[in-house]
Amino acid sequence: MTDRFPPGTAVRTYRHDPPHHTRLPRYARGKRGVVVEPEGPAELADVSAQGRGDAPVEQIYAVRFAARDLWGEGDHHVVLDLWESYLEADEEDAADER
Amino acid sequence: MSGDHADATIARRVRRLETLLEEKGVLSGARLDEIIDASLSGASPANGARVVARAWTDPEFRARLLADGTAAVRELGFMEGSYQRLRVVENTRTTHNVIVCTLCSCYPLRLLGPSPSWYKSEAYRSRVVREPRAVLAEFGVELPADTEITVWDSSAETRYMVLPRRPEGTDGLGEGQLAALVTRNALIGTAAV
Amino acid sequence: MARINDVGGFQGFGAIDIGEDAEPFHADWEARVVGLVNALRAQGIFNTNEFRDAIESMPPSEYLSTSYYERWFLAVRTLLERKGVIKPGELDD
Repeated sequence: MTDRFPPGTAVRTYRHDPPHHTRLPRYARGKRGVVVEPEGPAELADVSAQGRGDAPVEQIYAVRFAARDLWGEGDHHVVLDLWESYLEADEEDAADER
Repeated sequence: MSGDHADATIARRVRRLETLLEEKGVLSGARLDEIIDASLSGASPANGARVVARAWTDPEFRARLLADGTAAVRELGFMEGSYQRLRVVENTRTTHNVIVCTLCSCYPLRLLGPSPSWYKSEAYRSRVVREPRAVLAEFGVELPADTEITVWDSSAETRYMVLPRRPEGTDGLGEGQLAALVTRNALIGTAAV
Repeated sequence: MARINDVGGFQGFGAIDIGEDAEPFHADWEARVVGLVNALRAQGIFNTNEFRDAIESMPPSEYLSTSYYERWFLAVRTLLERKGVIKPGELDD
């Protein structure tokens, strides 16, 4: 399968707030980041947690976020491993490494 | 709940559950003992330390380790048969890495041994992504102002380990001696070495 | 909807207790709970994601007032009841 988001792609996490298990922490919802690299596909945790055995397999991406983009302050970066369906391409400025 | 009374109560309930499961044929006590032994056997920070010492002395291994951690540690006999991916992240003069799992407590058990209580605590998990420099200072790690810090939040299947910087003045040491310098906290990123 | 385990950036949990653990488990029952989880997972009674979901779904006050391995035990009980391996209340003293 070809990865939807190659390394270096600017992405944004969905403002996702489901009532079920998910692995997109609140602090990183609706935030802009940059793809570092793919981590390898796995069953989507959100569905697998429901024990139905039909979880889709999706690519997982390491995505790097600037603390400033997460919390409005801070000089550090946070990298999260996120399933593809948590992400969309960030159509705005993709040029600069934050 | 805390304290001996609470412990005794939980211990009783755990035993009761084991008995129930055995009565129902779900699980035998012997199988459970086997699994308890297997869970921790061989899991130790000495493993991670060996990987680090090899990376410090063998530049080609270091390159392989950073490119594909899972494959590289398998060369040393670790993580065979594991479905998890290992990613090793290196500290440099200008960058420092620290690992967390904010959502639960994911941890590279095979290479680091059992995780410390602080790693599993709400205090560490809540604060290290938000103020890593302050958290590191509480661990005694003071970094220059121009050091870039990256916090790796293990939110999926990959497990992370830090490759600390080789200390100054260790040129004459062999791999075994170098491995002995590496602490478990350094592999998480809460110590320099 | 926010769950109590999702603590990244949360304020107020205070200083980190860095003291070294003398042993990985403070009591034998903790090791047995880890074994139980691993054994039940290996048998396909539940998967890791279901297990995490059960811990996270605990009422916040319960999550914050129970120890790490006690949460594991409570999650196992919840899952076993949900899956009909044990009857609700069958485990209670």
